[in-house]
Amino acid sequence: MKIETREESGCQVVAIIGSADVESAAALREALLGTIESGAKCIICDLGRTDFICSDALGVLITAYLKARMRGGFVRLADPQQHLKDVLATTRLDHLFDVFADVKAAAGGRKLH
Amino acid sequence: MLSRSPDTDNAYPWTEKVLPTQLEAIREVEGDIMDRLAQVDYDEDLQFAIRLAFEEAVVNAMKHGNRMDPARKVLLTYRVSPECIEIRVRDEGEGFDPGCVPDPTIDENLQRPCGRGIMLMRSYMDTVQYACRGKEVQMVKFRRSGGGGTKP
Repeated sequence: MKIETREESGCQVVAIIGSADVESAAALREALLGTIESGAKCIICDLGRTDFICSDALGVLITAYLKARMRGGFVRLADPQQHLKDVLATTRLDHLFDVFADVKAAAGGRKLH
Repeated sequence: MLSRSPDTDNAYPWTEKVLPTQLEAIREVEGDIMDRLAQVDYDEDLQFAIRLAFEEAVVNAMKHGNRMDPARKVLLTYRVSPECIEIRVRDEGEGFDPGCVPDPTIDENLQRPCGRGIMLMRSYMDTVQYACRGKEVQMVKFRRSGGGGTKP
């Protein structure tokens, strides 16, 4: 897994590239929580190039969501491909996270569903 | 588990591996399973489903069963055929009652960062059974069933 971060439309975008598996969860945690601790309020996880996600990585997303919310911010998910959409639906985490078709829509708050 | 004939077992034999309790040890076996699935033309949806369930089962065995104790091992047994994949994962922990694991999909548990592994295994595999007082999980995925998870 590789992580790329960038700023777009006033949001911090954390792109997860490859497989968010159990071995990658620590790096993902560091990237997301580090972004929140640096003061970012609007965090978008770009899942467009994420081909796999395990329950540990889902747990990291939830931890980041809760931490951002405690600080008055939010974590949004953008552009999940079909396998990740299925996982989000199966776990019902699509009821917890706001999920968007792409990063631009996430920055603007136009939800996928 | 499936009933088997000697002919089927000979054509698609069982593989047994003993893993150390180290998360990085998962990848090599996972690669072997994915290679075998590809050889008998399991599609991407099935491969995703099986990879997810396999990873959750082995991580559960290492983290919750063996409590990441490097002195404990995880025993893996698996068999890939054109019809199905069968996987057994056994740890050296104390066992547990899978019926006592909270449902992570109900509203009050959605914000819990952990506890989704078993639910994902059950959603993505066709059968998930526990043996040896919870120390062994036995999973089957039929090729004909397709790969997607099921909404609870």
